Amino acid sequence: MSENTLFIFENPCEKAATDQLSIGLDDLILTQDMPTSAGSKMLAGYKSLFAARVDERLREAGHHVAGKVNVGEFGFDFLGETSHFGSVVDADGNLTTAACQLLADGAVDAVVGLDVNGAQARAAALSGQVHLKPTYGCVSRFGTVAVACSGETVGIAARSASDVQQVLDVLAGHDDSDGTSLPETECARITSNGFAEAASAGETFAAPITHVKVARGLMDAFDADTAQLMEAAIGALGEQGIAVSDTAPQTDELLAVGNLAWNILMCAELCNNVNRFEGMKYGYHTQKYQTIGELYTKSRTEAFGILTKTAILYGSEVLAEGNYDRCYDKALRTRHLMSEAFANEFADGTSSGQTAILLPACSKRSYSLADVEANPYLAFEENRFTAPAAITGLPAVSAGGVQLVGPAFSDAALLHLAGAVSCADCAGKEA
Amino acid sequence: MDRDTLLDLEHLNQLSLTSQEQDDMLAFFSAREADWETLAQIDTETVERMVHVRPMVNVMREDVAAQPFSRDDLLAQAPESMDGYWQVPQVLQ
Amino acid sequence: MTAYETVIGLEVHAELATKSKIFCSCTNGSDAEPNTHVCPACCGMPGMLPVANRQVINLGMTAGMMLNCHINRTTTFDKKSYYYPDLPASYQTTQWFAPIAVNGYVTIETEDGPKDIRIKQIHMEEDAGKLVHDNWSYTTLVDFNRTSVPLIEIVSQPDLRSADEVVAYLERLRSLLRFAKVSGARMEKGTMRADVNLSVRPVGSNELGVRTEMKNMASIAAIRRAIEYETARHIDAIENGTEELVQETRGWNDDAGKSFAMRNKETAGDYRYFPDPNIMPIVIDDEWYDRIHATLPEFPEVKREHYVTNVGLSDYDADMLTQSRAFCDCFEGAMAAGAAPKEAANWIITNCAGILNKRGMTSDELPVPGAALGQLIGLVGDGKVSNANGKRLLETLFDLDAQGEIIPDDIAAFAEAEGLVNSSDTGALEAVVAAVIAADPETAQAYRDGREKALNPLFGACMKQLKGKCDTQVLRNLLIAELNK
Repeated sequence: MSENTLFIFENPCEKAATDQLSIGLDDLILTQDMPTSAGSKMLAGYKSLFAARVDERLREAGHHVAGKVNVGEFGFDFLGETSHFGSVVDADGNLTTAACQLLADGAVDAVVGLDVNGAQARAAALSGQVHLKPTYGCVSRFGTVAVACSGETVGIAARSASDVQQVLDVLAGHDDSDGTSLPETECARITSNGFAEAASAGETFAAPITHVKVARGLMDAFDADTAQLMEAAIGALGEQGIAVSDTAPQTDELLAVGNLAWNILMCAELCNNVNRFEGMKYGYHTQKYQTIGELYTKSRTEAFGILTKTAILYGSEVLAEGNYDRCYDKALRTRHLMSEAFANEFADGTSSGQTAILLPACSKRSYSLADVEANPYLAFEENRFTAPAAITGLPAVSAGGVQLVGPAFSDAALLHLAGAVSCADCAGKEA
Repeated sequence: MDRDTLLDLEHLNQLSLTSQEQDDMLAFFSAREADWETLAQIDTETVERMVHVRPMVNVMREDVAAQPFSRDDLLAQAPESMDGYWQVPQVLQ
Repeated sequence: MTAYETVIGLEVHAELATKSKIFCSCTNGSDAEPNTHVCPACCGMPGMLPVANRQVINLGMTAGMMLNCHINRTTTFDKKSYYYPDLPASYQTTQWFAPIAVNGYVTIETEDGPKDIRIKQIHMEEDAGKLVHDNWSYTTLVDFNRTSVPLIEIVSQPDLRSADEVVAYLERLRSLLRFAKVSGARMEKGTMRADVNLSVRPVGSNELGVRTEMKNMASIAAIRRAIEYETARHIDAIENGTEELVQETRGWNDDAGKSFAMRNKETAGDYRYFPDPNIMPIVIDDEWYDRIHATLPEFPEVKREHYVTNVGLSDYDADMLTQSRAFCDCFEGAMAAGAAPKEAANWIITNCAGILNKRGMTSDELPVPGAALGQLIGLVGDGKVSNANGKRLLETLFDLDAQGEIIPDDIAAFAEAEGLVNSSDTGALEAVVAAVIAADPETAQAYRDGREKALNPLFGACMKQLKGKCDTQVLRNLLIAELNK
């Protein structure tokens, strides 16, 4: 594995003081001093005229931006395997993402990226890192290469939950340039300070998580090792005095189809968002063309990988006049039902304790390159565990090989609990 | 979805698949149609569509103009440009 | 022979008169040098997110109210996908599911009296860029200045039956949009454009014939010619089977006087509409609705009636003033500042219009506030500023605006500072008169000998010395008195 499959571009500026965090930005985050390629041949070497809000906030807070981290093409794949710049495997030969490999190597303290379809949550679960997908609207998406705007958020991966929280404290905040950015008072709820203040004021979202529900109905969707890991996590939570019960069967039914609805929304939005890349204005363009149609078609055909093409065509099809109602509109209504089902599961929250849902992050404990070659569509099938958070915009923490999805603004509470399940992972691995 | 409708779809999205890719795509679409059948089993009559996950309305900016970006910078990465324009093969009316 | 009727519906696009674009902060200035009013968002570069311009919603509501529409209290934006070089993001943000306004009507005057043309809907959207075809290099040049300039599209029901009605409808729309300051609505500048949907059927039939859509109509006169041509083409096809009519989009070549089939824009028709996840719904509460409703102007014909009946203007003056909201505003402001109605109307219709015309500006661009004009008219009426200097003063006010400066509130002080106020110092006048007579004793003697015309060169010499700054009547009296001493 060569070094350059991890960093697409390394910040030539020397790393400064020890009180700074060294942070990698995944290559869907626009920077002004470094190119942004989005994992795609289409944008290889693209220079943005402006930087993402998260890049600005990190630098203003005095942190060191270490470089641009390799991602799968437009960030929606399974484990970064579709990157134009190559996929990444760890020392054991297992597939991982560049972000998690850099964390495992100790090369950076955190990676900030765009969480489109759970790739970093899965990689963190598989490599023992911690990943947070924050509550939708708390971190600005301004300056990210838009893929599936209705559900994607800026995500943070680090070696510990406290590192994630430290970065989150810098990133969370209102931004007038993002029309989906929540008011400052709501963004502040997920920062350490805002959370502590809310906790002392007795706000429900800042209560500790005292109850975890398990989606038993999904248990047959993963392998024995993962089932064992889930049981270990449940055991560890029990030892922490956390009540464990099952989700309602109706919730499980919806969780089981959440990714089918999310695939429709994600691909339709992806199709529309990457329509702009056609070889005319910037980015890759074909060498020989006579007509505008040839310029468009050849540039796109030559530059996009097959998974992106698949998503574009599927996304276009679900919006076709004859399909819109049964596909796109159906997915939007399914999203509503899922949000209601989650709300019902969380409804017993009080100022003394709230509820989270425990899910695995993926159905196996490791994947090889051969796995994605045998099934190139894992991104649309193995996303069943990350899609529920993506489609509802709820916060999700991936740690210790499992995932916790909580009520809106419970991010900091989820990160507190991540420590408990991380230990479960250690126990699981020893066993 | 058959090969002809797939061709239309490719054309609409400015893509051109190889014959092998088309075979794979047809298989993919047939699996997705099964997904639609599964989704059709869910009763969604009782709920409205949910476009935005957080309930917000009236996010607007005031009508204030800002400094434009430099044309040279914007055109710097254009494959073809002329006299301050992007340049493309002639588009017939 | 069968009698036919033409059935026409119009889609009218009007650029909204905002300072900035609809979803980014670029200036709304599509006339400028190519690609100088653009940013990464309106060039289709990744990373920018749309934030809706509040004034666009205000103007969309205003247009809906002017056209008697129901305003949708929840209105949303949607994405429409297609590829074309003038569309940098390969999608247009428009309104598909819940447009700002629906179910209105516009009343036009026809030979048979007033007729209501129903409005199906008004939606807000972003404009596309401009393509310039360079025949020398055989390439197309792309300018994104106009990209994301806010538009409304006004879609009528197929209620129009003739070119005359279409022209009356367009003129009425133009007048209403200008009066409400929604749009400059100038077809020659492309800030108002019309697509004409036309079919022909036998009189008495309830079924619609094959419909063709004509795009790129550049003027009202061209639209009239195109409708007449297209109607004849349809009837000829039906009667004589000269060709098979197909539902299609056609262009109009005004030079050749012919319509022609346009090449289909890719696989047109299915635009893959879906709601824009980045733009939150716009919800219009009563307070907002009422606030916009309170800003609606009187309809021009209501104002005209008021000017004739209550203010006492002639029909001609009232017609001239009510062509333009800016004229009406200036006129009413001048009256409020004390100017007599007839005087104010004259100054606007004659002097202001003259300067506008000379400078190639439209009546809607009249930069002089009514209060300023009212003061100016007062100064002239009081003899403090000569008529000629009053016109100079008006010209100076136009200059100020052209230079981007603010027209002052106190016109008397400004006129003083500009040295355009008559000298009120009789002593100074007497000194000039004495000097002029002393310098030209022969002419003075000629006057005294009974040649009255000899007064003129003496008067002119005085005016020259005074640089025109005096009350001419006072000067004349002084001069005569001095000569008769």
